[in-house]
Amino acid sequence: MIAATISSWLINVAIALTALRTNLMRSMLTTLGVLIGVFAVILAVAIGQGAKSTIIDSISSLGSNMAIVVPVPDTGEDGPRRSSDRGRLNERDARAIARQIPGVVDVAPQLRQSVQIVSIGRNAATSATGVTPGYAKVTNLNVDFGRLISEADVRSAARVTTLGPDVSRKLFGDLNPLGQQVRINKVPFIIIGILEPKGDGPGGNLDDIALIPITTMRQRFASNPGQGPDDLNVLYVGFDSGDALTTGRKQIVELMRERYRVSQGDINPFTVRTTEEFMETAGTITGVLQGLLVGIASISLLVGGIGIMNIMLVSVTERTREIGLRMALGARRRDIRNQFLVEAAVLCVIGGAIGLALAAIAAYYLEPVLEFKAPIGLGTSIFAIVFSGTIGLVFGGYPAIRASRLSPIEALRSE
Amino acid sequence: MSQNTPLLDARDLVKDFVLGGETVHAVNGVTLAINRGEFVAIMGASGSGKSTFMNMIGCLDVPTGGRLLIDGVDVATLDGDALAEIRNYKIGFVFQQFNLLNRTSALDNVAVPLIYRGTSSADRRAAAQAKLEAMGLGNRLDHTPAKLSGGQQQRVAIARALVTEPLVLLADEPTGALDSQTSEDIMGIFQKLNADGITIIVVTHEAEIAEYATRRIVFRDGKVIEDAPVTNRRTVAA
Repeated sequence: MIAATISSWLINVAIALTALRTNLMRSMLTTLGVLIGVFAVILAVAIGQGAKSTIIDSISSLGSNMAIVVPVPDTGEDGPRRSSDRGRLNERDARAIARQIPGVVDVAPQLRQSVQIVSIGRNAATSATGVTPGYAKVTNLNVDFGRLISEADVRSAARVTTLGPDVSRKLFGDLNPLGQQVRINKVPFIIIGILEPKGDGPGGNLDDIALIPITTMRQRFASNPGQGPDDLNVLYVGFDSGDALTTGRKQIVELMRERYRVSQGDINPFTVRTTEEFMETAGTITGVLQGLLVGIASISLLVGGIGIMNIMLVSVTERTREIGLRMALGARRRDIRNQFLVEAAVLCVIGGAIGLALAAIAAYYLEPVLEFKAPIGLGTSIFAIVFSGTIGLVFGGYPAIRASRLSPIEALRSE
Repeated sequence: MSQNTPLLDARDLVKDFVLGGETVHAVNGVTLAINRGEFVAIMGASGSGKSTFMNMIGCLDVPTGGRLLIDGVDVATLDGDALAEIRNYKIGFVFQQFNLLNRTSALDNVAVPLIYRGTSSADRRAAAQAKLEAMGLGNRLDHTPAKLSGGQQQRVAIARALVTEPLVLLADEPTGALDSQTSEDIMGIFQKLNADGITIIVVTHEAEIAEYATRRIVFRDGKVIEDAPVTNRRTVAA
C-alpha cells in the first residue's frame, strides 16, 4: 500500500517532468520567479544570521559572563535621559562589588579618554583606557608580545602602555614596537606589550586601543567623568558562571542602590547590563533586520508563486483533453489533482534548488563586502527546498483542484 | 456477477440537458440490455442521442432518469470515485481521435490505465508490452504517436483499452479518422477480440461499419427506433 502510494507519486513526478520538458522555455521562465524569490529569501536569511552571529561573537569575545556598570542613570530600556541626572560610579564601588558579591572572579574599573599617540613622525587617534590587571582577566584579553599592565604599574602610576595591534601598526608598521617610546597627549610612555587581535566588541574596535594603568590615567590626564576623585566611566564585573551572573546582576543593583541611598521608586544613578542582555538586544535588532530583509524578499517569492499559479492554469487549460482521457481511463479526481500538484511542486523545487545554489555562490562573493560570513547551512538548504515545494503545493493548489473538477465528457470533447 | 446478468441493463433511461433555458431530452426513455459476448453497433445521426447513451454506459456521465445497471450495479448509487473504478476495471475506451498522449511512448501510453489501480512499474510494462505485441506492434514499443500511422495509433489505443482486461470495449467512431482499408483492419481486430469473448460496443454513423457487428441498435431523437441482429454481416478474413 505504501509502496503503491510512493510509486504513484513517482509516476506523477515522471509525468510532470515530461510535461515540463514539453514546454521547456515556458517552464524555465516560470520557475525563474521562484528561483529569484528563493535566492532573495535565502540570501536574506544568511545575511541576517551572519550579522547576528558576528555581533554575538564580538560580544562574547569580551568574556561571556560579564556585567557592565556605567555611571548613566538607568531610565529603563530606552527612555529619555536628562543631562541633569549625574551618574555615579567610582573605584570604591568596584571594590565593594568585588568583595561583597558572590561569584565575582574579578572587576575591571576603567577610565577612558580619546587621545593622540605620537611616535617618531607618525601619530594615531585612539582611545586610552586606564585599567587594572583585572581588565585582562575579565575580558579574556592577552598579549601577542610583551606583557599586560601589572599591579606594580598601577601602584607606581607607571608611564607604560600596552597597545592594541591596530594602533601598533599605525605607529610602527611591521617594526617591533616593544620598548619604544610614544607620547600620549604629549606625555611620554614606554610600550610594554601588544595585544592579540580581537576585532569588534560592543565598545568599539578592541584592537584600536591603548591600555595604561588607571592611576597614570588619573594623574596625567585630568578628566574625571563625575565629581569624585576616583570616578570611573566603566566597570566590568566578571562572574564564574552564567547563574552567578544572573543573581549577581540583581545584587549589584541592590548594593549600589544602598551605597547611593536611592529611595524606593527613584531612578538608579547607574546602569547595569550583562553580556546576556547585550546579546538579547543584538538578537532582537538583527532579528528585526532579518525580518525586514526576509519580508522584502518574500514579496518576490509571492510574485514567483503567482507566476506558478498562472502557468499551471494555462497548463490545465491546454491539457483539458488529457485530463478527460485520464479520467476515462480510470483516474479519480484526486489522481488528477495530485498530478498537477506534483507538477507545480516539481517546477518550484527545481527553481528553489537553483535559487539556493545561486544564493550560496552570492553569499560566498559577498563575504568580503559584508565583512562577515553569511552561512547557508544544511538546515537552510533543506528549508529552501521544502519551502519551494510548499509554494508549488499552495499556488498549484487552485489550478490542480480546478483540473480535478472538470467534467470528464466536456474535458474529452475539448480541442 | 453471474454470467446470466446482462452486462448492461438500461431501463427507461433518460438524460436531460438544460440548454438556453430549454430542457433537451438527449436520451428519452431507452430500455435495452446488452449481454456478455455481444458485438453491438449503435447507430444514429448526429444529435440522435447515441453519444449521450454511450457516455452513460461508459460511466462518464450519469442519467437523469430511469435506471442503468452495469454488471448488475446501479450507477445511480455510485460516487465519482466508484465511477472511476468502473471505468478503470470494467470498461475499455477507444476514441475516434485515438487520444494518445503526445511525446509518450506507445508502451507508456498503453500502461496509463494501470497507473490508476496501483500496478507496479514492472507489471505495468509487462502487461502493456503483451497487449502491444498482441496488436502486432511489438517492434513499436518506444515509438511516440507522432511516429505511428493512424492505424497503428488506433491499435495502440485498443491495446490501452485492453490492458486492464475489461468486460466491455466501448469504441466511439473508432474508424472515423481512418481510411477504408485501415478501418477494415480495425474492425477485423474487433471481430477477433469478440470471438475471443470480449463484449464490444461500437458507436458509428457509418452503415458499413455497423455491418461488422452482430446486433444493430439505431437511435433517433433520443429513442431506440431499431434493435435487430445484423443479417448481412461482414467478416474480415483472419
